[in-house]
Amino acid sequence: MASRTTDAPSIASHPDAAAPVPAIALSGLTRVFGVVPAIVRIDLRIGPGEVVLLRGPNGAGKTTLLRVVVTALSPTYGSGSVLGFDLVRERDQIRRRAELLGHRTRLYEDLTGRENLRFACSLYGIDDRGVDEALERVGLGEAGASRVRDYSQGMRQRVALARTILRRPDLLLLDEPYAGLDGGGKDLVDSLVVEAAGEGRTVVLATHDAARGSMAGRMLFMDGGRLAPVPDPAPVAR
Amino acid sequence: MSLARQSAAVAAKDVRIEIRGRYALGAVVPFAATVLIAFGLSLGPDRTLLQRTAPGLLWLAVLFASVLSFRRSYESEGEDGALEGLLLAPIDKAAIFLGKAAAVFAQLVVLEAVVVVLVTGLFGLSLGASPATLVGAFVLGTVGLAAVGSMFGVLAESPRAREAIFPLLVLPLATPVLIAGVKATALAVAHRGGEAHGWLGLLLAFDVVVVGAGTLVFGQLLED
Amino acid sequence: MSTAERLMAKMTARRGERALGAAALMGLTATAVFGLLVTPPDADEGNVFRLIYVHVPSAWLAYLSFLVVFVCSVVYLVTKRIRWDRLAAASAEVGVIFILLTLVVGSIWAKPTWGTWWTWDPRLTTTAVLFLVYVAYLAVRRLPDGPGRRARWSAVIGIVAFVDVPIVHLSVAWWRSQHQAPAILHVAPRMAASMAAALIVGVVAFTFLYAYLVVLRLRVGRLEERLVAEALSPRLEVTPAHPAALPEEVPARG
Repeated sequence: MASRTTDAPSIASHPDAAAPVPAIALSGLTRVFGVVPAIVRIDLRIGPGEVVLLRGPNGAGKTTLLRVVVTALSPTYGSGSVLGFDLVRERDQIRRRAELLGHRTRLYEDLTGRENLRFACSLYGIDDRGVDEALERVGLGEAGASRVRDYSQGMRQRVALARTILRRPDLLLLDEPYAGLDGGGKDLVDSLVVEAAGEGRTVVLATHDAARGSMAGRMLFMDGGRLAPVPDPAPVAR
Repeated sequence: MSLARQSAAVAAKDVRIEIRGRYALGAVVPFAATVLIAFGLSLGPDRTLLQRTAPGLLWLAVLFASVLSFRRSYESEGEDGALEGLLLAPIDKAAIFLGKAAAVFAQLVVLEAVVVVLVTGLFGLSLGASPATLVGAFVLGTVGLAAVGSMFGVLAESPRAREAIFPLLVLPLATPVLIAGVKATALAVAHRGGEAHGWLGLLLAFDVVVVGAGTLVFGQLLED
Repeated sequence: MSTAERLMAKMTARRGERALGAAALMGLTATAVFGLLVTPPDADEGNVFRLIYVHVPSAWLAYLSFLVVFVCSVVYLVTKRIRWDRLAAASAEVGVIFILLTLVVGSIWAKPTWGTWWTWDPRLTTTAVLFLVYVAYLAVRRLPDGPGRRARWSAVIGIVAFVDVPIVHLSVAWWRSQHQAPAILHVAPRMAASMAAALIVGVVAFTFLYAYLVVLRLRVGRLEERLVAEALSPRLEVTPAHPAALPEEVPARG
């Protein structure tokens, strides 16, 4: 498990990786809330550029796992690395490169869609010239000037999608992204996944929706906080 | 992006939300006015008593009303989980603290202007003589108050019994603001503003300590 | 292990605990003897003055325990080793007792001496503010559901409160000085040798008492953590050999 301490370039742009650094490498990862273990001894390797589907019933721990990977939560036991950066000690590096599209949209109700995106750009040091284009792409070209408070649930999720489009993270984590979206919205999510995969970025998609996820190269199954046993991906360059 | 620019971005966002939501006008100022009227009623119509206690009542009203402002500052972060978005952004976490403190500072200054006018009318406070001292007391006092409230407002964001803890924590820690603010205001009103520099110095020391400590440790409050 | 850790291990072992308890008991007995029998009554205040042999040591401990909370908070944030948070919490809980004692004894002393229960004396008033801060600190500790978050929040409060309290004291002292009222402690010039000795004995005795109570509290804390770890272990298939072996606890290398 490689662990870096400098601000090294991300996987996708590293020119000559002899042994590609895994996008996600977890070892014995456990997260406990009080006395309730949400995820238990997760051992996982996901290679760079993979598209992985994560399935499991409600309460299986999918959300907790994704939140730990994106460093919104810290592990109680175990260790791991994301994009080569340590899960506990190099969180800022991970945060720069990974994004979670989750249950909560992280929007400010009293700001407009456009203002929310501009603020996100300022947080991530991204040029905000692409904001209008991103809004168009998710179908909020006109609604971008209204307050998020007036948006429907589907519209809110589209703003979050626009944010992902602007950020282009090296690791994209999606937690039930199809919930609350109509057919067009779901297709939009799929196009984002396909686009990311095409650019060599890694995607983990957790969803109940049986009709979606066909673009995934691999499937993982979770239940009761544990991962169903799964073999390592075929060695890419060893 | 430097710390100053990151803080400015956060502050601008908060100010914009406040202007849209008009929470200060809608809730905080009326609350302060209610508190002041209650003070007036409880202390009786004796004019001299009210004049003597006016600086204290003024600051108390500001202190109590400020709790609402701090709550509101973090409420907007809680509605859709935006605080986590700030945590996950590659910015210096101190920028969140400084930006929010700056935005609340602006709100509180507006509140104080209104409260001062009210107190002048209700309690017969005379403001003429030492405007510099008065302004100094309010500005320095508010910086410290905004810092303490913005720091611990994080604790008030999530559910559970956290809301009750927040005033218990903030008000004792803000004691120097109350004491020094009231003293400096009382001196300013009594045409003795020149004697207040010790109190203003105390407020400045408090500000430096609290803002400095907050900048160093605020990030620790956000991680999980 | 560093010297500090070796010392801590010695003190927190059962033998160390008993030794501290014995020392505390002896010290308190000595204080009582000195304070009640050996020393003369005060020239002005009579026997009420004997309260000082409780008041001063407990005030000293109130602030010492606060200093310990501060130091542990800083060290915890730097090293992220949970043992420092445990010590801070134990010190805070024990410290509250001493603060209450200081306030109550101060009040009891004030009534016959100045005629009122509370005199807004700067030291007492700051102690009262400190009491409120402690209560808030302990209340906040009950909120989060994870030890890491609890430790972080507590550490921040411990640090900010500590740097704030001197300023609180200064402001109250200035505020009081404008009203020409006497402080509760005006002892220095008129102390007989035996009184000074009694005070020192008292301070030492109370310090042992503090250390004993903290060690006791740490042991209770370890038992609590073991309970939690055992409740978890069937589900985690982890034998809790080391209570609360959080990643923060394991020294990180590479």
